[in-house]
Amino acid sequence: MKYDVIIIGSGPAGYIAAVRAGQIGLKTAIIEKKDIGGMCLNWGCVPIKSLIESAKFYNKIKKAHDFGIKGIDPKVLEFDWLESQKRASGIVKKLTKGIEKLLKKNKVAIIKGEAKITSKNSVTVNNRNLEADKIIIATGSKPAPLKHQFNKKFIIELEELNKLKEIPKKLAVYGHGPVAIEIAQLFRLIDKDVTLFYEADDLVPGLDKFLTSYIISSMEKQGIQVIKTNSIKPGTKNNSIDVNKKTFKFDKLINCSWRNAVIPDSKKEIKTEKGFIKTNLFLQTNIPSIYAIGDVNGESFLAHSASAQGFFAINHSEGIKGEIQLHNYPMNIYSNPEVAQIGKTEQQLKDLEIDYMVTSYPLSLNSKALAEGNEEGFIRILSEKKLGEVLGVQIVSHNATDMIAEATAFMSVEATVYDVAKTVHAHPTISEVFMEAGHDAIGQALHK
Amino acid sequence: MRYIFKFPDIGEGIDEGTIAEWYIEKGQTVQVGDALCKMETDKVVTDIPSPKNGTISARYGKIGETINVGDPLVEIEIEGTEADAGNEQQTEAVEEEGAGVVGTLEIAGNNAFLPASDEGFDEKEEEDKKPKKKALATPVARAMAKELGVDISKVTGTGPANRVMKEDIQNHFNQSGKSKTPSNSNISGENEVEIEPLSQLRKSIARNMVQSKQNAAHMSVFDEIEIEELIRIRTKYKERFAEQNVKLSYLPFVLKATAMALRKFKALNSEMDLENNQMIYKKYYNIGIAVDTPDGLVVPVIRNVDKKTIFELASEINEMAHKARNKEISLDDMKDGTFTITSFGSIGGMFAVPVINYPQAGILGIGRIVQKPVVKNNQIVPGNVLPLSMSVDHRIVDGGEVTRFLNQIMEYLSDPVSLIID
Repeated sequence: MKYDVIIIGSGPAGYIAAVRAGQIGLKTAIIEKKDIGGMCLNWGCVPIKSLIESAKFYNKIKKAHDFGIKGIDPKVLEFDWLESQKRASGIVKKLTKGIEKLLKKNKVAIIKGEAKITSKNSVTVNNRNLEADKIIIATGSKPAPLKHQFNKKFIIELEELNKLKEIPKKLAVYGHGPVAIEIAQLFRLIDKDVTLFYEADDLVPGLDKFLTSYIISSMEKQGIQVIKTNSIKPGTKNNSIDVNKKTFKFDKLINCSWRNAVIPDSKKEIKTEKGFIKTNLFLQTNIPSIYAIGDVNGESFLAHSASAQGFFAINHSEGIKGEIQLHNYPMNIYSNPEVAQIGKTEQQLKDLEIDYMVTSYPLSLNSKALAEGNEEGFIRILSEKKLGEVLGVQIVSHNATDMIAEATAFMSVEATVYDVAKTVHAHPTISEVFMEAGHDAIGQALHK
Repeated sequence: MRYIFKFPDIGEGIDEGTIAEWYIEKGQTVQVGDALCKMETDKVVTDIPSPKNGTISARYGKIGETINVGDPLVEIEIEGTEADAGNEQQTEAVEEEGAGVVGTLEIAGNNAFLPASDEGFDEKEEEDKKPKKKALATPVARAMAKELGVDISKVTGTGPANRVMKEDIQNHFNQSGKSKTPSNSNISGENEVEIEPLSQLRKSIARNMVQSKQNAAHMSVFDEIEIEELIRIRTKYKERFAEQNVKLSYLPFVLKATAMALRKFKALNSEMDLENNQMIYKKYYNIGIAVDTPDGLVVPVIRNVDKKTIFELASEINEMAHKARNKEISLDDMKDGTFTITSFGSIGGMFAVPVINYPQAGILGIGRIVQKPVVKNNQIVPGNVLPLSMSVDHRIVDGGEVTRFLNQIMEYLSDPVSLIID
């Protein structure tokens, strides 16, 4: 069978590439070895977000009394793990069905099986040989296997989270990055004892240190132990960890290690760098007819970046001009409360020797946040001093991951703090904190 | 009613001018056609006439100040008109009256009519100006342009919908900065360079030359012609012309020969209209003559050359040369050329690769007549040879055609009588 383009992997990178390819009339096939939608939909962003939402709801109900609701006794409230899983998988099903529909609508052939690249223009799957002008690798990534010698029966891999019938009381979460934080907080929200261990310089690479230290202290306040170390050893009893001469016992350890690329088998050598497929500016591998997009190329580990790459790669393969921006995207953490960041961090501005200022505004002074009982958080705007350009925005708020979109828009049009200040925001909304921080930057804070 | 008269688009791609002299004062009454000021544009010095009868209530810009097309020049209080900006009929009537004062004068739009009050004037004027003037640019790009003194309207944007981004300003600044570097930083002694602001004319020449080189596919051919007979005729009539105060050079003959050859080779008298995917062949033969002035080159146009006698052409050339040197050439004098002749021979050059006066299809360069050995009837004899250099837009004219065209001109010039026979 001969295609114009074959895409390996149906996550946010792959399925967007397939839809785009279909849209512009290419004969397209997408190969998926497991579930349509990849990690993001099946065991990443979407189900975890659903579970976190259930856990947050559970916690909010505990405060019903404060909101003037009688009859809810926090002591009898119980979190039903299986029901919350069911809800999550229902959402996943709805979305994956949607993607399948979308693929079919765009006449994309969906082939289930594991792909092997056999030449610059061919792939085998289920012993069938398929040919294509262009091959796009979108196989993603998954947490690296634990390098420590733990007994496997105590380890939970993220992929298996949705198969667990129950969650034991004492949990260790290993790893760094947004997922480790989200998982640690998810289980803490449903009353588990959680200890987070990480062996890295930064808990979240690329996140402003101000936000990282906020997250750590907020986790500690919530009762999560956060332990940074470089000497984790499995304890003698297998279900314990020895760190700094102390032993931490756990019932299960959840592996949220930093990611490794999932690289498909290939007869032709596809060059890698630090474990990820090496690509050029146009996301082509060392074999020009083969592209690598999304997590597998290690450029960015964000679903939205992966999708943008998918769109771009198809355009590029068809000679449609354009540019791909790989890095300037919002970084969202679905923590409690949410954390979002876009643009440069303070450290980056210092390294670039940019004369900058930071203005901030706390949610505790915002009427809507108070009314909602969501007053934990703040906004920080990092701006260049002379012209006032907004260079970075950092938000902690229960809805930070949505709020950051406004900052993205401001920054994509190279807005200044003057523009932020003069943009009238509706009252009462949490978004008013933008305007306040903007006014603060031009020395005219109104409510501070 | 107060009428705001804006510096009109006077054609020829002129977008700014410098006020050389004001003829009117505030409070003065003016009639339609009265000169308001003398404006030096990149090509001419011209008087700007009033489009209205009325009293001058405000004057914008000082002598020496540069004004952009569309900027307000004066405000005229028009008597007997109700201050009703909303009345469309009235607006139309007043506009019509003002139209067509000078050639393609473009009169200010509806917003120019305001109640006779200073209040709100600035604001409304701003509103009127913005959509016309405001370049699409990001806020930071704007702030940066201001900071670095970059004219944002001259920067090509690379953002979405050609939005000017800060990087564009930075690049623009760096580029213009680079060209400044030698004059600013490498000066070891004070007298090694002299810095003079670009004149309007020089700017205009620079723009036109680059436009031509970028758009036309230049191709040049060269030839020489023995013009014994032409010299004889010219010598014979020179004095007769002089009696009538007309200097007879070789140019009128070349002009006539060219116009007649153009009639036979329509491609040379055409322009390519790429926007509409068509060729425009012109049935009139207006030939521009490049005139060297102390400030730079201007190109007045002699109209309908094919229909004029040598005497008429000679006197027109005399007149134009005089006007050009005294900066009296009007925009109308330079309009509507279909072909150009540049005569550098009078200064001494032999051959050159002339740059086409875009969007015309060709330009003919006339070199200096020199005495050279020529072969006539198998004998080497002294001859007077006129060198010809011709550039054409190869997109329009093919090599064979330009050679045949040049041959035709040479035929006419070697046998001037054919100019009246053909």
